[in-house]
Amino acid sequence: MKRILIAFTVFTSVSLVQAQVDRGNVLIKGGTVLTVTKGTLENTDVLVRDGKISQIGKGIAAPSGFRVIDAAGMFVMPGIIDAHSHAGIDAINEATAPVTAEVFTGDAVNPFQVGLYRALAGGVTSIHAMHGSANAIGGECETLKLRYGVKDPEAMKMEGAPRTIKFALGENPTRVHGSGNGIVPRTRMGVEFVIREAFSQGKAYMEAWDAYNKAKVQKGFRGTPPAYNKRLETMADILRGNIIIHCHSYRADEIYMLLNVCKDFGIKRLVFQHVNEGFKVAPELAAYGAGASVFSDWWAYKFEVYYSTAYNAAILTRNGVTTSINSDDGELMRHLYHEAGKTQKYGQLTDDEALALITINPAKQLGIDGRVGSIEVGKEADITIFKNHPLSVYTIPMITIVDGVVRFDREKDADDQRIYVDPKQTIDVTLHTSSGHDHESCMQGAVYETAKLFGFNLLEK
Amino acid sequence: MNRFYRIPRQWLVLLLCWTALGVYAQEEVKLAPVTRTYAITNVNIIQGPGRKVDMGTVIIRNGIIQNVGKNLTIPADAVVIKADSMYVYAGFIDGYSRVGVIKPKEEPNRERPKDPGNPEPAQAGITPQNDVRTSLNPAEKSVEDLRALGFTTAQVVPYGGMLPGSAAIIQLGGASSNDMVLSGNSSFYSELTPAQRVYPNTVIGVMSKYRELYRQAAQAKSYENMYASNRAGLERPVSDKILEAFYPVIDKRVPVLFKAERNLDINRITLLQKDLGFNVVLGDVKEGWDMVNKIKAANAKVFLSLDLPEAVKEEKRDEKKEESKKPVDAEKEALEKRKAEAIAQYTAQASVFQKTGITFGFSTASAKTKDIPANLRRMIAAGLTEDQALAALTTTPAQLLGIADRVGTVDNGKIANLVITDKSYFNEKSKVRYVFVDGVMYKYEVKEEKKTDAKNGNGKKADPNGKWSYTTETPQGNSTGVIKIKNDGGTYSGTITNSMSGQETELSSIVVEGNSMTFTFGFNAGGSTMNIDVSLTIDGNDFEGTMSVGNFGSFPMKGSKDPNQ
Repeated sequence: MKRILIAFTVFTSVSLVQAQVDRGNVLIKGGTVLTVTKGTLENTDVLVRDGKISQIGKGIAAPSGFRVIDAAGMFVMPGIIDAHSHAGIDAINEATAPVTAEVFTGDAVNPFQVGLYRALAGGVTSIHAMHGSANAIGGECETLKLRYGVKDPEAMKMEGAPRTIKFALGENPTRVHGSGNGIVPRTRMGVEFVIREAFSQGKAYMEAWDAYNKAKVQKGFRGTPPAYNKRLETMADILRGNIIIHCHSYRADEIYMLLNVCKDFGIKRLVFQHVNEGFKVAPELAAYGAGASVFSDWWAYKFEVYYSTAYNAAILTRNGVTTSINSDDGELMRHLYHEAGKTQKYGQLTDDEALALITINPAKQLGIDGRVGSIEVGKEADITIFKNHPLSVYTIPMITIVDGVVRFDREKDADDQRIYVDPKQTIDVTLHTSSGHDHESCMQGAVYETAKLFGFNLLEK
Repeated sequence: MNRFYRIPRQWLVLLLCWTALGVYAQEEVKLAPVTRTYAITNVNIIQGPGRKVDMGTVIIRNGIIQNVGKNLTIPADAVVIKADSMYVYAGFIDGYSRVGVIKPKEEPNRERPKDPGNPEPAQAGITPQNDVRTSLNPAEKSVEDLRALGFTTAQVVPYGGMLPGSAAIIQLGGASSNDMVLSGNSSFYSELTPAQRVYPNTVIGVMSKYRELYRQAAQAKSYENMYASNRAGLERPVSDKILEAFYPVIDKRVPVLFKAERNLDINRITLLQKDLGFNVVLGDVKEGWDMVNKIKAANAKVFLSLDLPEAVKEEKRDEKKEESKKPVDAEKEALEKRKAEAIAQYTAQASVFQKTGITFGFSTASAKTKDIPANLRRMIAAGLTEDQALAALTTTPAQLLGIADRVGTVDNGKIANLVITDKSYFNEKSKVRYVFVDGVMYKYEVKEEKKTDAKNGNGKKADPNGKWSYTTETPQGNSTGVIKIKNDGGTYSGTITNSMSGQETELSSIVVEGNSMTFTFGFNAGGSTMNIDVSLTIDGNDFEGTMSVGNFGSFPMKGSKDPNQ
């Protein structure tokens, strides 16, 4: 019996060996500091020691050995956090089953994608590298810090960030599994059933293990342990409150459905992604404490996304919903500050409210707001410096800092920022690989394209 | 005598049958050698890295090295090989490949799987209970080809998906599959290769499934132990051949050999290793130089790939071109410089590992056999010493595979696995003259180099006309299909089909020059058309080449003409 106990302790214990992370020392002098949570401070210095913000004030002297950045006339704001991305990972959709709670995008981190550098050049410092939306319950996601330049994939992971998991409602799971393979779910009812069934199984699994663990410490106990199942293990962890659900969704009815499902199973940590009809259920979302991560003005790419408005973020915000604006896209990710700015045109949000959409609010949704998302003493020094106000159309990201280390500097931006070069590449070929603004990255890996038939995975490189 | 008569009559009948068979078979089977004793005389003996005997003699008897040294008495029954000023080395050891393993016939299955989330284990690539010993064949051409380079021993793995089965260490000779096997169950072979169209279809699925199976196996094993100690009142454990295959790994009696070509593969494998705690061997490592700390932390054994990216050809400087340099040329030059630097990193990998103190052998899993000697020379030019290269071909893999008591050096008592070359093996002009495997001699005639038409390879013009079936090896697994080429008075047209979709695509820009053929075919990538480029070299009814999409990668492609046309 002891052996089983030991075996399972080993299985569940988190590895203590952690990747080496560089933490820098820097003094940012004389900028306009947009703290997001504590107002705007003119002509203020920010001192960063060992990767953390150690002092905010005027006339701070640079300790010896500290890099000094002259930010006079510039705007210093917390690094942008993208709560919905598929960058930095080599696999997105395990699209073969409606429930794949057991898979984990953190297993497939690829720190060499040059798109990560481009995101840094857009002021982004953290991304939520998510599983795709092919399955009703997809896999666990990884929160990455864009420490572009590191060669150890583990060093890209935001150590200690809470676990999150991708769910998906509506057309994607019903198309892939229902229309595609003729299995449940083919309808929105089916999606609800699949999720409820998975939770019920997870609950039974959790109870069986709890009972077993309780019984086996009794003297003279002899019995069979429940069969180990990684999928149900993850479902049980959601029920235990250890994993935040991030659910791909568009329509108000299905959003309300998942609120009810979560209520029935006692799940509290829940964020809706895309949420184009979120404005219709904003009070309900606020009452539940569920977050919403939306596009500023991106819709109509399929039937379920027609009923949309650019006022969505503002309506959700004013109803008290923790709201963020995300990219779900390598290009959009580079100008999330513009996306946030649109909420001032459509909804008259204040500067702090608009900036919160891409900083402290996504941090809250990922459970990392105690560490990043605002400029406060004690927080990690993930900072972006802009020329012109970041909500202005004339803004330009100049320097992006992660853990006090300058990872992007416009002055030192070289032509070729790749870390590894394919030794077999043919150089004289020009390629345009963007599939456009058509909202396909969520479904990456879920469809068989011609190129894929011949073994090429164009989107993953 | 009395005993003889006690043999039952039916046995006598059997004995007679055998005798008859023996007589009958003699006409077809090769005659056994007159002697199994050889004396290789007047030879430079490289007993091991840094251990040389000038102009000595090696005596082989009954498959074993009997004596090594100077002034030895030549046995009367010995075949004498006058290896004047030649070099003899211990036969080389390939740490990981599929040499001598029969490739299973692929049955193209075009049907869409009914419930892709719940495939049969074999369809999902989960067959750890398989044993490569059941699919060995000494007559495979790969055995002959690799042996001709001086390789005499290899660790070989079965074909399959994420868990193909157990590996074996084989001798590259023998008359039967049993003859070949030096030791079975040498490692538990694994890949991060996803299944096609069914779960696990991605690397994250594979890693998750790997953890689940391993933990289920650990659980089943613990329960079996508990049950064995006192069965009363307990449900009997269910036998599961897949989980049982993990038991030797869990006990650390057998290591896990993982295909680990890319740097990210290495990271993913070490993640699994850290979670599950198995002993790990990294096979066919191509991009490991930035992963040395992880390799050390995992205490992994390493076989570096003998495959290298093609070297950049030195281009003749065109002075006129230099003068009229456009901005685009400067950009191209910068990209080419980075590419050359990248190639140099691959070539220098072995010397980087040597300097960081990680012992390594080599593997031929993905190397083109004919490139291996040149690739070794490139590694030596990039900083590896000849002795270090020799160690990685002989003594180190022998230790890593636990067979150093039998092979890896030219010493008394070891298995007579030898390679004899006319010059030092690493000399560009060196030719292999004899190879011994288990004391059996293979002789190589040195042919005069024919003058060939440089453009046309063997000088023969290829005939691409007809129907070809092809296979490409891709990270997504093997892909097969048919290419049809039609020659209409020197103008070629054709189509390509992938057996998964069955859809025909027109080929364009088909160019045939000598025995080379190139063509492209387009596909739609999110609204814009992109091309897959194919470049092939035709040799009679076979071709080999690559398929590529810009800088998204290229894959080896092989094919042969459909004989029924």
